[in-house]
Amino acid sequence: MDNAIEVSGLTKYYGDLLAVDHISFEVRRGEIFGFLGPNGAGKTTTQRMLTTLLEPTEGRIIIHGHDLARDPYPVKRQMGLVPEESNVYTELTAWENLMFTAILYRVPRSERAARARELLETFGLWEKRDVKVENFSKGMRRRLSIAMAIIHKPTLLFLDEPTPGLDAQSARVIRDLIRRLNAEGTTIFLTTHQIEEANLLCDRVAIIDHGRIAAIDTPERLKAAFRRVQSVEVALEPDGQAHGPALEALPGVTTTVKMGDKWRLYTEDPSTLLPRVVRYAEEHGLRVVSLNTLGPSLEDVFLEITGQQVGVVRHETEAGGGKQRGRGMRRRQ
Amino acid sequence: MKEGWLQRLQNEVAQAWAVAVKDVKVYYLRPGMIMFGFLMPFFMFFSFSVRREMAAAQGVARLLALTVFFTAAAAGPFIIPLERRLGTYDRLLAAPMSLLTLLLGKAAVGAFFAIGVSAVALIVGVVAFGAPIAHPGLLTAGLLVGSFSFSALGLIFGSIPTRNPGDVQMPSTLLRWGLLFISGVFIPLEEMAPAARAVAYLSPLTYAQDLMNHAVLGAGLLTPWLDLLVLLGSGLLFLLPAVLMHRRSRRLGY
Repeated sequence: MDNAIEVSGLTKYYGDLLAVDHISFEVRRGEIFGFLGPNGAGKTTTQRMLTTLLEPTEGRIIIHGHDLARDPYPVKRQMGLVPEESNVYTELTAWENLMFTAILYRVPRSERAARARELLETFGLWEKRDVKVENFSKGMRRRLSIAMAIIHKPTLLFLDEPTPGLDAQSARVIRDLIRRLNAEGTTIFLTTHQIEEANLLCDRVAIIDHGRIAAIDTPERLKAAFRRVQSVEVALEPDGQAHGPALEALPGVTTTVKMGDKWRLYTEDPSTLLPRVVRYAEEHGLRVVSLNTLGPSLEDVFLEITGQQVGVVRHETEAGGGKQRGRGMRRRQ
Repeated sequence: MKEGWLQRLQNEVAQAWAVAVKDVKVYYLRPGMIMFGFLMPFFMFFSFSVRREMAAAQGVARLLALTVFFTAAAAGPFIIPLERRLGTYDRLLAAPMSLLTLLLGKAAVGAFFAIGVSAVALIVGVVAFGAPIAHPGLLTAGLLVGSFSFSALGLIFGSIPTRNPGDVQMPSTLLRWGLLFISGVFIPLEEMAPAARAVAYLSPLTYAQDLMNHAVLGAGLLTPWLDLLVLLGSGLLFLLPAVLMHRRSRRLGY
């Protein structure tokens, strides 16, 4: 049995609104699986169904060989959940939070204290173990929330947007921890809209949009499938910022995006565009500070798949789709 | 490794206990709990009892019935929607325990609070006002069973699919006041007209008051065993809509 999760025909309606539309996928044992999508595309709804918090309208979920609808108990024992909001008890200390979770997950009494100490030391919270969590920073609460999710050594860990809002150091600590847990054999299901994070961490990613799986593959294969969103990145002096519209008018350029002091010119054919950019610089007396060709990033792939133009911020205004219930919702046919 | 039913039962009991102890630690100082759970029964008691001729024992019996009723029933409608809003309820729902275990743990919280507040009322009544207790054993049983029953009543409202405790407080308060005013707490059953008495029997608080009368005063209108049976039965019955509404919440995404 190679799959940790097998999902088939999973569907969720909220009343008449379709949030998740007959999706099917597998997550292999021991992999970090990224679940990407725009806000409201159905990511969290799917994750809540996989973690027994939400009842599907249709479809089947098999986790570690157990049908979640019929036999959730053994699955819950092997599962850890880190939701988007750090759901720790702020009136309790870090130690009390961990002890409570250890009892809930039936960690043997003889192992609880040692396990809690190990986690608090790993997450840099040992010195604060007797401090009420209401005095913790957001990053500290996040770390504690993850410690609580893994105190019973789950074989499958669900993380919903683990790093947004954290400082760079806390985010790195959490990413390193995800890698370490995975190296120790834990399957990771990572729900995120942070594409670079998925690119850095995930063995495979699924992109969900409008409640449907739009693509599922390794990050590199997805990028390879979208060669048309290659680009040339150029920094010009002096006054390189003023040349964006002229660069966009060059033959072969589909879109231009300002990236700090550089311009990124999207094209299907970077080798033809490159000499044109150099010629443009020469004709206008500009110095080329840097010039690079870039393959498509996972973000480019994501934007292409979800129908958002590369480099252009599109406001999500679908009628009837509130923030919670989502961008991708459709009415029942 | 598959565990046996005995091990599973031990686990569920430990989990329910952990939920209850955690809730006591987390919520006993919350303003909503203090207002609706700890102070309300005393407000009600003094509102309807001052300037009336009443023996100390009679006052203690009435106050105990009110504290058990109000305090126990206040916990569920306050704690569960608040936990839903804070996201901590998901932690409990995702844990490897049955929904019934979770609800029994939550019912125990209200019962703990009610027993604690009742104990304070009892000590003050006995020590300060010299109220005699006719049947201490019956009093203990009445406090335990009554607390469980009314805490389970509170769970019905706590199970309403919402993340806002305010949405639950109004219907819950309305029902509690309704059950209070039709009961035999303020007008003794024997003084009621037959029709009013028939309505009073619909309120479980009537049985709690009658039981407290037996335990403290040594006399009541009904038999104490019937009072205990009705309170226990209604407590178990109240768990049913709580389970059904939790299932509905799981379909709706709360």
